[in-house]
Amino acid sequence: MMLVLRSLVVLAAVVVGVLGEGSEGEERARLLAAKRVHNLYLVEGRDIVVQYSVHNVGQAAAVNVQLTDSGFSTEDFEIGGGQLQVKFDRIAPNANVSHTVVVRPKKYGYFNFTAAEVSYQPSEESVEIQIGYTSEPGEGGIIAFRDYDRKFSPHVFDWLIFALLMIPAQLVPFMMWYNIKSKYTAVQRPKKGKTE
Amino acid sequence: MLGGLKRLLFILFLVLPVIISITNGGHMKAWAHEDEVEGEEDELSDDDEVNVDDGTGGEVETADGGEEEEEEDEEEAAAKGSPDADTVILFTKPVGAGTELPAGKLVEFLVGFTNNGDKDFILDAIDASFRYPMDFNFYIQNFTAIPYNRAVKPRQEATVMYSFYPAEAFAARPLGLTVNLAYHDADGNSFLEAVFNQTVSIVELDEGMDGETFFLYVFLLAFSVLLLVAGHHFLSSFGRKKGSKKAVVEVGTSKRDDVDYDWLPKEVLNEIKKTPRQSPRTRKAKRVASSK
Repeated sequence: MMLVLRSLVVLAAVVVGVLGEGSEGEERARLLAAKRVHNLYLVEGRDIVVQYSVHNVGQAAAVNVQLTDSGFSTEDFEIGGGQLQVKFDRIAPNANVSHTVVVRPKKYGYFNFTAAEVSYQPSEESVEIQIGYTSEPGEGGIIAFRDYDRKFSPHVFDWLIFALLMIPAQLVPFMMWYNIKSKYTAVQRPKKGKTE
Repeated sequence: MLGGLKRLLFILFLVLPVIISITNGGHMKAWAHEDEVEGEEDELSDDDEVNVDDGTGGEVETADGGEEEEEEDEEEAAAKGSPDADTVILFTKPVGAGTELPAGKLVEFLVGFTNNGDKDFILDAIDASFRYPMDFNFYIQNFTAIPYNRAVKPRQEATVMYSFYPAEAFAARPLGLTVNLAYHDADGNSFLEAVFNQTVSIVELDEGMDGETFFLYVFLLAFSVLLLVAGHHFLSSFGRKKGSKKAVVEVGTSKRDDVDYDWLPKEVLNEIKKTPRQSPRTRKAKRVASSK
């Protein structure tokens, strides 16, 4: 009788312990990922800097973190630097990693910057892979290059043409003045006091 | 003519009143009727709240600052999250627990959403607001809600980013910051979860060098230079003996008068020395006398 009772108590403790561990003491990694477009102006044919940052707010290290961005198709963008697919072996708890990609748009117009996918193992022992998504930067307008150039380029060639056109406008009055002035330039008199 | 005028006046002052008194039974007065105001006077009283319903259920600041009762009911009904969803907040700018936020600078945070259920969730929007720390129902500032409309599949996570600028005017004050995440599930149930609901203090970041401190240093430099110059002047004037005589300028002794004829050409000078100098008046008098 006492043995049955004791074994029941032990069994109950084990069950509770297992259940308790299952819900409370489980240490998991939790990743928060952000995707930010760093540019002020998005211009066709010029670099766009996209920054990804992955933060671990869980208690365990995230293992085998894969960051994949399939939002930049090769027909609309070309890669200027960095990889669109990157792997981090471990992200420790309360740590963060960042990754940067440079892309160049091939066309202008409105483009919806979509989220990139993050997949990781929540802890060392877990088998299942957690899939998450980064934050979306949203829709941005990619300006045509000629509009951007009109506003921001140094316009060296335009200034040269302007200078060339201004030369006759400056030269003609100057020559007129010089001719008149040279007639009336004072000549040094030999003696003092001689009025002419 | 005047006769005609008199006659006209006669007609006007006698005939017209007769006509007036005859017509309309002598009634030429207008009675003021009071408008029928239905129930208005009963309802108005000075200290009551004015309930403005703009139909959207949005927050309205009323006279005594209390929120409308309708809204409180709405919020209470929806101010809970789904048990299948798990949210977490992380401040990325500035990094920390979010208890101290800089005034006038960008504050950015990420909200992570995990779908632990079996159905899709759709994240609608995040809205943040500053509230009175003693009473979280009193809104001080409401920030723009950013709509996301992100679908989160079961067992998956999503992150959304939100940023705002605390106004400079709030520096050195504690405020309650409430961040609400609104989402709904595939069945159409909407949820509103307070992801962050704490008192934060707005701090003013001390910048090293701004315009004011730069010009303060310029002013101090100029003032010290002024002091140096003044001190130098006083010291040098003190050293000099008082009442020192000015150096006497030497002039030639051969001049009869003070006029200096150096500027005249030499021929004119010779001419002057030959002829006696006379004033024009005496010359004229002499001429007249000589002619006569």
